[in-house]
Amino acid sequence: MLIEYQSQRVSLWYFRLALVLFILQVIIGLWLSINYAFTLPQELVNVFPFSTAREIHTNTLVAWMLLGFMGGTYYILPPECGRELYSPKIAYAQLIIFVAAAVTAVVGFLFGWTRGKPLLEIPFPLNALIVVAALLFIANVAMTIIQSKEKSALQWMLLGGVTFLAVMYLFGMPFYKNLNTDYYYWWWVIHLWVEGAWEVVTASIVAYIIMRVTGVDRKVVEKWLYVETGLFLFTGIVGTGHHYYWIGAPDYWLWWGGVFSALEPLPIVLMVVDTWMHVRERKNPIVNPLTWYYIVGLAIYHLVGAGLWGFMHTLPPINYYTHGSQITVSHGHLAFFGAYALLNLTIFYFAMPRLKGINKYNDRLGRWGFWIMTIAMFLLGLVFGIAGILQTYLERFLDIGYSTAHLTMMFWFRVAFGVGLVFLAGVIITVYHLFTIKQSNLPAPEPVVTPAANI
Amino acid sequence: MTGKTARLIFWVGTLTSAAIFLWQTYDFHMQTPKFTHTDKLTEQVVAGKKVWHKYNCNDCHTILGFGGYYAPDMTKAFYRLGENNIASIVQHPEVMYKNSFRKMPHLGVSETETTQLVTFLRWVGEIENRHWPPQDEKFVEAYKLRESQPQKLDKVHLVLQACGGCHTFENQGRNVGGDLTAIANRITYDRQTLINYMINPQSVRPGVTMPPQDVSPQTAGIIADFVLSLKSNKEVSK
Repeated sequence: MLIEYQSQRVSLWYFRLALVLFILQVIIGLWLSINYAFTLPQELVNVFPFSTAREIHTNTLVAWMLLGFMGGTYYILPPECGRELYSPKIAYAQLIIFVAAAVTAVVGFLFGWTRGKPLLEIPFPLNALIVVAALLFIANVAMTIIQSKEKSALQWMLLGGVTFLAVMYLFGMPFYKNLNTDYYYWWWVIHLWVEGAWEVVTASIVAYIIMRVTGVDRKVVEKWLYVETGLFLFTGIVGTGHHYYWIGAPDYWLWWGGVFSALEPLPIVLMVVDTWMHVRERKNPIVNPLTWYYIVGLAIYHLVGAGLWGFMHTLPPINYYTHGSQITVSHGHLAFFGAYALLNLTIFYFAMPRLKGINKYNDRLGRWGFWIMTIAMFLLGLVFGIAGILQTYLERFLDIGYSTAHLTMMFWFRVAFGVGLVFLAGVIITVYHLFTIKQSNLPAPEPVVTPAANI
Repeated sequence: MTGKTARLIFWVGTLTSAAIFLWQTYDFHMQTPKFTHTDKLTEQVVAGKKVWHKYNCNDCHTILGFGGYYAPDMTKAFYRLGENNIASIVQHPEVMYKNSFRKMPHLGVSETETTQLVTFLRWVGEIENRHWPPQDEKFVEAYKLRESQPQKLDKVHLVLQACGGCHTFENQGRNVGGDLTAIANRITYDRQTLINYMINPQSVRPGVTMPPQDVSPQTAGIIADFVLSLKSNKEVSK
């Protein structure tokens, strides 16, 4: 048995449901690209409009990411605290509430039950359920940490991250009369999640996995964790201002938002550097190369998709032309996939074999999945980027009208549909591989003893 | 670097940034009335915002640049389309986009809701957001100019603003009622008939689908001159 505590098992169902939602999200994404690439009949548009498909695409994204984070937290918490979870029952109850709310939301969207607020469309009663689930989760995590004899920086960072995440969600729930205030607080959820709370959770989980797999000293890993999260929050919090350039807000946002958000790639660079260093200075042999592909791939893709792609259009003079165009779509896809989809898959590849008692797994299919997904998503980012540059140039520079610009872009969305099919194939291979993961026939290298401080 | 320094970096970094941000948030609330004209934020505008949410407009259209990128930005839609065009589009998208490569769903928006939505979009258009989006700024200027000095208005802007909801001109506008250049070369009306036609199409050509246009005779005159000039250009070039 490779897991140290029985209560770690609760995470398995989080991972499985997350993977199912991932496939659903990608299928709906393909449907969205068909909407762009071809002219659909009016009757179909009346019944299943783009807006409905988009809310399903984005909400399933958020749902599977959160399921992955929560499952990941439940997986690493017992060994990190040296005790069982406070209550596996609460963990299952919370999962049932969360998934019930998510499924009801998706079905409700099909019938027009929506708040009509992008990414936060879930109607109030379901939002209340999500809040209940989040409270149960935080209580469970907090009690496990409080009652543990071992205290570590990583525990508190993780608890801080998930609490920050939950608190920010509350700002998206009220009805705001003023559109500009509405979007001001909308970004407290969206931006302070992806460039704040989620980064803290990511950094903590990655730190844990690196520590466990490489055998690098806990002190070193935690030191990096402090510096990275410190920089993430320093640049990320005021960096929220890069969304406030064009909403009707004072001029100083251009400077504060521009300068701080331009610094946002820095902590990601640090993350790449420290991942690389820890891999080189590892004390343990590499048992599962694919898990390493994911850890290193996550760091690099995170830097490119979130850091580089975000930096390119974060400064106000550029953003004036690129804001709200397909360039945002390109950045959104590369960043969410590079930073958070790969993080979740790293967790799944770290935890799922262990939960099944497998030390060294057969990774032939998984490698195919990894390369197909990462390459296809990068191409997709480039195709959206080309469409975005075309749109920006035709519509906002040459000023030849929205329709003409979008007609020109249709070709690129046909390409995007093709690439999306390849991406879907990669996702299906990966999910199939994770669900049916098997012991490898090759012998695993002898593990070097993990330093006592790391356990 | 020691562990203590690392912790210090974390706390100083996080707390400074949070403090700056909270101060900015306070200032934002102080200044928002000025930037968004909250004195004009009436119950009707709020009702319009609810309509905007009810039909999930924001997952196809961006507003202030946020939302779905599938359909045009709505921040300055009031200036780009005008009240009548917004109403026709919202209530009869299947007609307005009959020839379009992209469709808008028929949402069943009531007339009251349409009025509220227009009021909301008019208020949104007045938010002082540093002239974004760039491509709509010409419509904002044209609208303001039309209100103050209609005689000085660039004809193309005037025509597009008024007719672009249904007619195209040089690839701009919406292709429902045909291209203005093509129409100019087809029609045989003189200036006055064309003006009468615009104000009340049925009086000139009974049974035509074009609705009556809410324009002053003076503006109709400018448009008629413009349309007729397209015709003469063509004849000269022949």
